[in-house]
Amino acid sequence: MLKMTDVSKIYRTDTVETHALREFSLTVDEGEFVSVTGPSGSGKTTFLNIAGLLEEMTSGTYELDGRDISKLNDRERSRVRNEKIGFIFQSFNLIPELNIFDNVDVPLRYRGLNAAERKRRIEESLDMVGLASRLKHQPAQLSGGQQQRVAIARALAGEPRFLLADEPTGNLDTHMADSVLDLLSEINSNGVTIIMVTHELTLADRAKRNIFVRDGQVTDAAPEFLRAANG
Amino acid sequence: MEFGPIWRALLKNKGGAILIALQIAVTMAIMVNSISIMQERATNMQRPSGMDEANTLTFASISFASDADNRATYINDLEMLRNTPGVINAVGTNSFPLRGGGWSMGLQTEPGEDMGGVGSAIYFGDEHMIETFGVELIDGENFSPEQVVFLDPDNFRWEPYVIVTEALAKTLFPDEEGSVVGKTAYINQNDPVQIIGVIDQLQAPWQGWDEVEHALFSPVKRAEGFARYVVRTEPGMRDELLPQLEEMLASADKTRLIRAAQTFDEVREGAYLGDSAMIKILGFVITLLTIITGLGIVGLASFNVSRRTRQIGIRRALGATKPAIMRYFMLENFMISSVGVVVGGALAIGLNIFMVETFNLTPMSWWVVPAAMIVLWLVGQAAVAGPARRATRIAPSIATRSG
Ligand SMILES: Nc1ncnc2c1ncn2[C@@H]1O[C@H](COP(=O)(O)OP(=O)(O)O)[C@@H](O)[C@H]1O
Ligand SMILES: [Mg+2]
Repeated sequence: MLKMTDVSKIYRTDTVETHALREFSLTVDEGEFVSVTGPSGSGKTTFLNIAGLLEEMTSGTYELDGRDISKLNDRERSRVRNEKIGFIFQSFNLIPELNIFDNVDVPLRYRGLNAAERKRRIEESLDMVGLASRLKHQPAQLSGGQQQRVAIARALAGEPRFLLADEPTGNLDTHMADSVLDLLSEINSNGVTIIMVTHELTLADRAKRNIFVRDGQVTDAAPEFLRAANG
Repeated sequence: MEFGPIWRALLKNKGGAILIALQIAVTMAIMVNSISIMQERATNMQRPSGMDEANTLTFASISFASDADNRATYINDLEMLRNTPGVINAVGTNSFPLRGGGWSMGLQTEPGEDMGGVGSAIYFGDEHMIETFGVELIDGENFSPEQVVFLDPDNFRWEPYVIVTEALAKTLFPDEEGSVVGKTAYINQNDPVQIIGVIDQLQAPWQGWDEVEHALFSPVKRAEGFARYVVRTEPGMRDELLPQLEEMLASADKTRLIRAAQTFDEVREGAYLGDSAMIKILGFVITLLTIITGLGIVGLASFNVSRRTRQIGIRRALGATKPAIMRYFMLENFMISSVGVVVGGALAIGLNIFMVETFNLTPMSWWVVPAAMIVLWLVGQAAVAGPARRATRIAPSIATRSG
């Protein structure tokens, strides 16, 4: 399904080279709900960006759905992002100029779906996150939890195979974080593969499988300091 | 296409867009009316004078001897001119088209005062006028040598024969289906003149005059110490003959000066100096305005790209291709420009109506408005292309990297 082998990512600036990922290898199967934890700066976001085709890797191989990603051009990468992947970001990333309906519509338009089909999907996915009555609201009129639900609806409307979430609850209080996690579990139970980056182990525990990243590599178990830090 | 969301997003941040749309509208209004003025001037400049311009030259002879025999000089000058190889014909006259100065008189079909006449330019000359000016006699006859007299300044009277332009004949006798030859008109209210010939076309000396096609020949030779000669040469001989003829006349009689020697091209250039300057200035103004508007569009688009850096990254993350990002800004600009050119079209038409009424401008041609719309649309698209291309280079990872 998702198979990374010896993936490296090096960020080069004039003065420094940062090895964000070193021979990072991971396989995620269809239908899994994987959490990725690790200290700040360990490479979690880098991994997610490469997995989500937002960035290119420096070396290694990456297969998504049986396709060798390194052979795709920019247009094909855009298309894979649009059709197979749904993103949920820490800062919600709704487009402030667009109302809720138009926000969820964004990826569907890039897909080239007709108006009726888009409307059906938008209403359905907003209904699923409990915001069907807020179609005409502006993002700024919603609470953080509601905004993140809209973002989830936007990710779901494209009916993706993968949902990639980077600290999806990072900007939410515990109560809201819980309800977002409930939503993700429900989505996963519908067959969507989920990879969620988080540094909160209590949330990570709700995933079916936990991955720990340290210094740009997958390690076998959660380091003690991390367990201690999160109580 | 994503017209709906782009339009709605635009309305959320409309300050800059409205200013740019207004700038486009004003540019359009000025552009359309400048083009229509330029077009009017250019059309005027292209009207034929009626003369054989390519082969015509002119100069004036000014005598400074008080006891000179001006008539003898006049006769001798024209004889020499007409006998010079390469000269087709020559004539002494008071004026010619595009000269800017000359005589005009009112003509009427019935004698009497307060009848309201038709204005016409008067060209004095002998039976060589028609050939020298290069006009065509389309009806009637030329003057016979016996009909031509020397003007007596102390005892002026209108000679009873005229040759008129067809345009003048039509205005004088609008209901005449047949020939106007033999008809009588009255000049200076009561002096009868008989039309003996009609020429095809010849302008009055004032190219800006409403009745510029009204001109007539009167069979009068003027030799009062000042004579204006017009010479028509064989094709290609004009430039060579001008200094030669000037020198010939100057040395034939040393008690006078030869002045105002010009080819007809120079006459035309001088006559339309103001118009061609106006065309250049207006052309410069609309080019400058268009450039400024283009720069305004570049500025607004650059600002919008910077302001939306994050959102562009998000769109890329959600599956927008680079062309889709490009298209977003092109479409947005198209909408702003469309508002601008529609408002501008209305402004342009309003301004044109005002100018037609106030300055007697010719109403603009229908195509100027759509043409200016297309130009401004294209300018907008070209101006936005650079910033839009910059937008396509924003990385999708912006969506996760900046907090
Ligand atoms: N665009 C970049 N340029 C340079 N270094 C970067 C860039 N993005 C991330 N890094 C570095 O790569 C390392 C991993 O970062 P990241 O994947 O964001 O970690 P995490 O998400 O686990 O906190 C960090 O040292 C970070 O500073
Ligand atoms: Mg991170």
